[in-house]
Amino acid sequence: MKLVMDNLGFLFTGAYYTLLITIVSMFFGLFIGLFTAIARLKGNRLVAGIARVYVSIIRGTPIIVQIFIIYYGLPDYGIALQPMTAAYISLSINIGAYLSETFRGAILSVDKGQTEAALSLGLTPWQTMRKVVLPQAARTAIPPMGNTFIGILKETSLVSIVTVTELLRSAQLLIAQYYVAMPFYLAIAIMYWVMSTGFSAILNVIERKLSKAY
Amino acid sequence: MIEVSHLSKSFGSLSVLKDVSLDIRQGEIVVLLGPSGSGKSTLLRCLNGLEQADAGSVRIDSVRIEAMMRAKERKKAVHELRSLTGMVFQSFNLFPHLTVLDNVIMAPMTVKNMPKEQAVEIAERLLGKVGLAEKRDEYPSRLSGGQQQRVAIARALAMEPKIMLFDEPTSALDPELTGEVLQVMRQLAEEGMTMVVVTHEMKFAQEVANRIVFMSEGIIQEEGAPEHFFAGPKTERARKFLRQMAQEPV
Ligand SMILES: Nc1ncnc2c1ncn2[C@@H]1O[C@H](COP(=O)(O)OP(=O)(O)O)[C@@H](O)[C@H]1O
Ligand SMILES: [Mg+2]
Repeated sequence: MKLVMDNLGFLFTGAYYTLLITIVSMFFGLFIGLFTAIARLKGNRLVAGIARVYVSIIRGTPIIVQIFIIYYGLPDYGIALQPMTAAYISLSINIGAYLSETFRGAILSVDKGQTEAALSLGLTPWQTMRKVVLPQAARTAIPPMGNTFIGILKETSLVSIVTVTELLRSAQLLIAQYYVAMPFYLAIAIMYWVMSTGFSAILNVIERKLSKAY
Repeated sequence: MIEVSHLSKSFGSLSVLKDVSLDIRQGEIVVLLGPSGSGKSTLLRCLNGLEQADAGSVRIDSVRIEAMMRAKERKKAVHELRSLTGMVFQSFNLFPHLTVLDNVIMAPMTVKNMPKEQAVEIAERLLGKVGLAEKRDEYPSRLSGGQQQRVAIARALAMEPKIMLFDEPTSALDPELTGEVLQVMRQLAEEGMTMVVVTHEMKFAQEVANRIVFMSEGIIQEEGAPEHFFAGPKTERARKFLRQMAQEPV
């Protein structure tokens, strides 16, 4: 216990990186996901096809393999990335694929009458998407997005393998130094749990705010 | 003002409009009658480009849209058509994430880049006109169906259309709520708005329409002044339709 307390600062730094990776990847994943969803729904055949293949590949391969391809595979082609950069890129691409499915479903769940009403008022298809469809889709998408977010918070532990000193690797480094495992693993388990439940709570608040119109 | 000529439209193998032609003058109130599935909605939706015809053309004022148009020209024409027309739907289709006021000001601000104060001024006047000024800050889900439909009318009017298209505006309403919507429509008619109305409200059709257009199976079977149409329909189909309407008022 004392060991944990003494090294709390180091663990918090790890937790900070875990959060940072989660938030940054989520942020870019959001844009990739939205773009991919719209490409699949509104794009021409080629664009929609590319988007579909991307989603299929990401969903059909383990995230650890995706991380390895970005970090260990790309250097073969002269693209050597920093561990953090590799983490951001691989996780963003991964999140983007999963979120695109969420967004696609959410966009499709908005009643066709909404689009027709907006178009009949003279909005362009793009304005209709932005002002009418997406705000309503967002409400549907928030709960599954929250799940993705919390999922990724935990998946970030995988990037410890490419030497990103996030929370898990912080613990492993301490364990290697002190030759005791349990206190550190328990400590980070608690920290993961606190972060996950914290985000769940925040998401609940957002969800309630968004549904006040209904 | 509206000139529909030789319009045809199929959904797959189902032919829904068959060589439909129709002229409507400015200020005219045309009521489209006909059994369900006869193509009334499709015709109405061709007038604002929500449906694309396979053949024929629609002209409103100087905007003309033809079946055989290049995509880019068509897009431009459709956009212009929509600035001339307002549409009211059976299912209201208010935007549930926006307040009543925001429902009404959104299109003028988005499409015409109207400053907010001006849009609000117009919206308040229109909401007053449909009798819902005090509901401006409510969300649509808090309103009755009749109130929602009146907001939808105000929303369409805020774009200052020259023509209003109504597709069964009272069919989704409880009988006791249809009156308030029909009242707003009567008022619009009195103010000289050009209106094309699909409805099963026979009393409204009789009292407000200048002309009845009776459709069945994608064809305009007959048309005429309401006093003539209701007193002596020329076709057997129209007689049958009127008998059914008298039996089971929708
Ligand atoms: N988007 C569509 N796809 C396929 N069939 C359609 C579509 N819209 C309408 N129809 C069909 O076209 C016919 C005419 O429909 P509609 O114009 O809505 O008739 P009405 O408004 O007179 O009841 C109906 O048989 C309907 O099922
Ligand atoms: Mg219809």
